[in-house]
Amino acid sequence: MATRTRTPTPYPRHRSRKWFLTRWPYQLFMLRELSSVFLAAYMVLLLVLVTQVHNGQHAVRNFENTLKSPGLLIFTSVALIFALLHTITWFQAVPKALPLRRGENKVPPGLLIGAHYVAMLALSAIILIIVLV
Amino acid sequence: MTATAITRAAAITRAALAGTVTLEVARYLPGEDERPYFQSYDVPYHADWVVLDALNYLKDEVDSTLSYRWSCRMGVCGSCGAMVNDVPVLTCAAFLRDYLPGPIRIEPLANFPVERDLVIVLDDFMEKLSTIKPWIIRETEQPLDQGEYLQTPAQLDDFKQFSMCINCMLCYAACPVYQNDEEFLGPAVLALAQRYNHDSRDEGNTERNDVAWLDDGVWDCTFVGECSAVCPKGVDPAGAIQQAKLESTLGWYRSFLTPFGRR
Amino acid sequence: MVRRSNEPLFWSLFSAGGMLAALLAPVLIIVIGFLVAANDVTFARLHAIVTNPVGRVVLFAIASLTFFHWAHRFRHVLIDVGLRRFNLALAAACYLAALAGTVWAAVVAFT
Repeated sequence: MATRTRTPTPYPRHRSRKWFLTRWPYQLFMLRELSSVFLAAYMVLLLVLVTQVHNGQHAVRNFENTLKSPGLLIFTSVALIFALLHTITWFQAVPKALPLRRGENKVPPGLLIGAHYVAMLALSAIILIIVLV
Repeated sequence: MTATAITRAAAITRAALAGTVTLEVARYLPGEDERPYFQSYDVPYHADWVVLDALNYLKDEVDSTLSYRWSCRMGVCGSCGAMVNDVPVLTCAAFLRDYLPGPIRIEPLANFPVERDLVIVLDDFMEKLSTIKPWIIRETEQPLDQGEYLQTPAQLDDFKQFSMCINCMLCYAACPVYQNDEEFLGPAVLALAQRYNHDSRDEGNTERNDVAWLDDGVWDCTFVGECSAVCPKGVDPAGAIQQAKLESTLGWYRSFLTPFGRR
Repeated sequence: MVRRSNEPLFWSLFSAGGMLAALLAPVLIIVIGFLVAANDVTFARLHAIVTNPVGRVVLFAIASLTFFHWAHRFRHVLIDVGLRRFNLALAAACYLAALAGTVWAAVVAFT
């Protein structure tokens, strides 16, 4: 009886179109990447505001009314959440890309991240003062 | 006790009383099977068993045709990588009790062709690894009578983390970029390039970066970060790649300041 | 010298934009979307900010760099979800859009 010879045919690697839906870390990654869309969209809003300021008080009043609309208030809230997601993940990434040393010792990543939050809060305070006071 | 702790304790108790846990193992025989399929087995439950123990039990007592790789059974050889419930792990480090109540799904490492059952074809990784020359490159070797190469603890610290790689390829199984792009060098290869680039004894940065600093090297990475999350040795390949991107960028700007100089 | 990648240029713009946005976007969104919306910011103050030379530069920088941050990230995420074969077209579309945004930002901020 002749033995059947098998040609080894490895099963090709599987590609998934929806890999980013399969596990939470991938979903979080996708949300982080999408935050850039909201950031850019808000910068568009910023430029529109500046344009309206150049156009005069009446134009700004109209724009303020638009900003007050429920749709835009929701958009602002969502954009803020995505902006914070961006900030948190960005600061977490800084020590990974920049492993700093002071002499013999490695600068603790927490220190670096903390410094960024301090900077962020300080700059935010300055901007709020400039705008409101 | 939290709700999850109570559920876990209940599951473990149930398994201990029942005495068995179900494993669903991917099987594939090239030439015979068109595609992989799952085969269900009941294995004895022991609180201190890892998935590898269960596989060895299956091969010894139940089904000697089951094929899988393993060697040291203690997390240093990098042979036993597999997908357990969709997460790449070393089967010698994955305790059955952490997957209760089961069934526990065991598949070959993702993103590699399957040779047979849980054995994958790792040629792609091996070829890519050799392209970044994972050895100390020097123009001239220090003569023997000058003694050893000296390294301070700080110099060692610069690359030690990246040297812990055991080539287990769990990071490749976790990387969606590698899944979708066959040309991507991948996390471990790039981390190992950093390991040698940052070794004070090494002089091969330019040679390595001619491979690593290309579009199929570090620039394919989008910092998903799952490679570092699944690494059993704490290598942080994602961090290595971001560092390499920064170094590559600084080098790129520098090359415009010294167009005729050596980069 | 072997070929190198051109990614460093776009990655530096992406990084600069990412850092600026990480530091400033939350407060800017609060200012625009809540404070300005609630008429809490006087027109005089807004006018002073957008005509101040430093203010103009900051507004231009954060808008432009955020656009480039988006362009690089968005292009790469489209590649990641399976559109790698359109890499060149995606890169052109995204970076040109960012460039257009930059030109717009320059016009708005400096005129």
